[in-house]
Amino acid sequence: MLNKQGVTVGLTMVEKILARASGKSKVQGGDNIEAKPDFVVAYDFPGYTDVIFQQMKNDFGITQVAEPKRFALFIDHMVPAITPQEEDLHQNTRDWGAVNHVPVFERKGIGHQVAAELGYATPGAFVVHFDGHISQLGTFGTLALGVRRHLIEAFVNERIRLAVPHTTRIELVGQLPQGVMARDVFHHIVRVLGAASCRFQVLEFGGEAVQQMSIDARQTLTCLAMFTGAISAIINPDDLTLSYAKGRSLLNIEPVYSDKNAVYAARHTIDISQLQPVVVVPPSPANTRDLSDHLGLPVQVGYLGSCASGRIEDLRAAAHVLRGRQVHTGFQLYVVPTSQEIMRQAAAEGLLTDLVAAGAFVSSPSCDYCFGRIGVMSAGQRAVSTGTLNVKGRMGSTDSEIYIVNAMAVAAAAIEGRIADPRNYL
Amino acid sequence: MSEFSLPAIKGRVAFVFEEVDFDVDQIIGVKNIKLRDPAELAAVAMQNYDAQFAHQVQKGDVLVGAANFGYGHPHYPPMIAMRHLGISAVIAESFSPGYWRGEMAMGFVQIACPGVLTFVRRWDVLEVDWKHHLLINHTQQSECAIEMYAQADHDMLAAGGIMSYLKQIRQKENL
Repeated sequence: MLNKQGVTVGLTMVEKILARASGKSKVQGGDNIEAKPDFVVAYDFPGYTDVIFQQMKNDFGITQVAEPKRFALFIDHMVPAITPQEEDLHQNTRDWGAVNHVPVFERKGIGHQVAAELGYATPGAFVVHFDGHISQLGTFGTLALGVRRHLIEAFVNERIRLAVPHTTRIELVGQLPQGVMARDVFHHIVRVLGAASCRFQVLEFGGEAVQQMSIDARQTLTCLAMFTGAISAIINPDDLTLSYAKGRSLLNIEPVYSDKNAVYAARHTIDISQLQPVVVVPPSPANTRDLSDHLGLPVQVGYLGSCASGRIEDLRAAAHVLRGRQVHTGFQLYVVPTSQEIMRQAAAEGLLTDLVAAGAFVSSPSCDYCFGRIGVMSAGQRAVSTGTLNVKGRMGSTDSEIYIVNAMAVAAAAIEGRIADPRNYL
Repeated sequence: MSEFSLPAIKGRVAFVFEEVDFDVDQIIGVKNIKLRDPAELAAVAMQNYDAQFAHQVQKGDVLVGAANFGYGHPHYPPMIAMRHLGISAVIAESFSPGYWRGEMAMGFVQIACPGVLTFVRRWDVLEVDWKHHLLINHTQQSECAIEMYAQADHDMLAAGGIMSYLKQIRQKENL
């Protein structure tokens, strides 16, 4: 493609994915297009899926979706149900799925993770959801957008209208120090670039540090893209992610890669080799601080889980810290593996035994701890958490507080009953 | 652009949120986030900012915000309250995408206007000139450029929100 000066410029992988999805040979950032999502996914939640089902029928007269294999529903919030109304919502979802021949996945874990396990994260695919944390499918070279109420468009029409997003490239270099995890890297990026730095863009992560990262760590990075203002995140596929996707991918399409001369909205290089553990202080995900400045702050609750963290690498890290030690008296430590597949692996590795022996309350996968439906705090209580958010009232009383840290730091705080440096336990 | 026109916006600045990365849930307080009735929501809105707000606001008034307005994990009830009170638009230095998408889908006018914080004071009378992409401050007798919408945003807003927009598209395509 030629730019205005007649110079050949390359394309980002986002532009390539959306060119294919819109049936065009080329698109560029800013172009207005109509694109057909390869997959339309959602978890059932009041005000979203139940409303979409009603609107399809009552407002548009659609009684069955076309191409049901393009759709997938997950039941991961309100699991298990604690009121008849919640179970009604789930039953409504199951019924709608049955009538429409759309698969409904439940008791398998948090949908964003399960979607990857089941192959919806096909490299090169275009996926939409109402929830922005679906961005984590970008780990596998999939462009996944959280479009909120616009999701109705993808249920009603084959194509959705959107402007092709620009991409910001973030090159991570250096070796991650001990005691520092992908969680710290992401919040460090927010601190360095700013909470509004990548608004309406897609983050493309790359560089030697990303190549050295596990899939789990990459999912953490891509999951949280929204807190830089980005609408998604993506990583060029490599052997690690391609081998994960092989045998799982639900589509037979070619992976795509950004051209070396692709045009980015911005490029940043961030050296992580000197990074220290961080903490995101309440009440905003924009508030990244040094963990060392908050050591000793009393905490009563710990949550290790969520679609951002809670994978095998996080469980291994926490079990390593807690092995042979005990959770502080009166401290409530909730450990919630992100999916059943991860929980099974944790059991096979003996991690669940270590965590339970230390005094952790280990739960089957559910989103419910992350958004304050269960395991809630009362006024004045304080948590360390690997959940997605630390806004007021997210885990109970609006007068409780959430400090976001990495999985090891949750475990260290659980031992001491106060914010602690996990490196003392490695 | 489509043949549909954008809604006329002319009103007073009912409030200026000067906080960067403003979390809109604070408008009603997180403890009220599960309220659904617009009148109940309106009754609790702005209590931490200006207890007289509901009595002073008029139909057509606008809100003004700082950079990255709507950051965090925005819910719909705060702006349901604001629309119930007559607010016709939010004009901010810039917006957080999740908030922007959610409110635009409701047909609620959101306008990005870099520099707006230095351009307006509370109770100034503003008017939007859609044709020339300008925000006119009648009180200060000045004007400031506003950002253009992407086509899909423009068309959806002109239609009055995502539902009417989709109905128009389907009608056009004979679906």
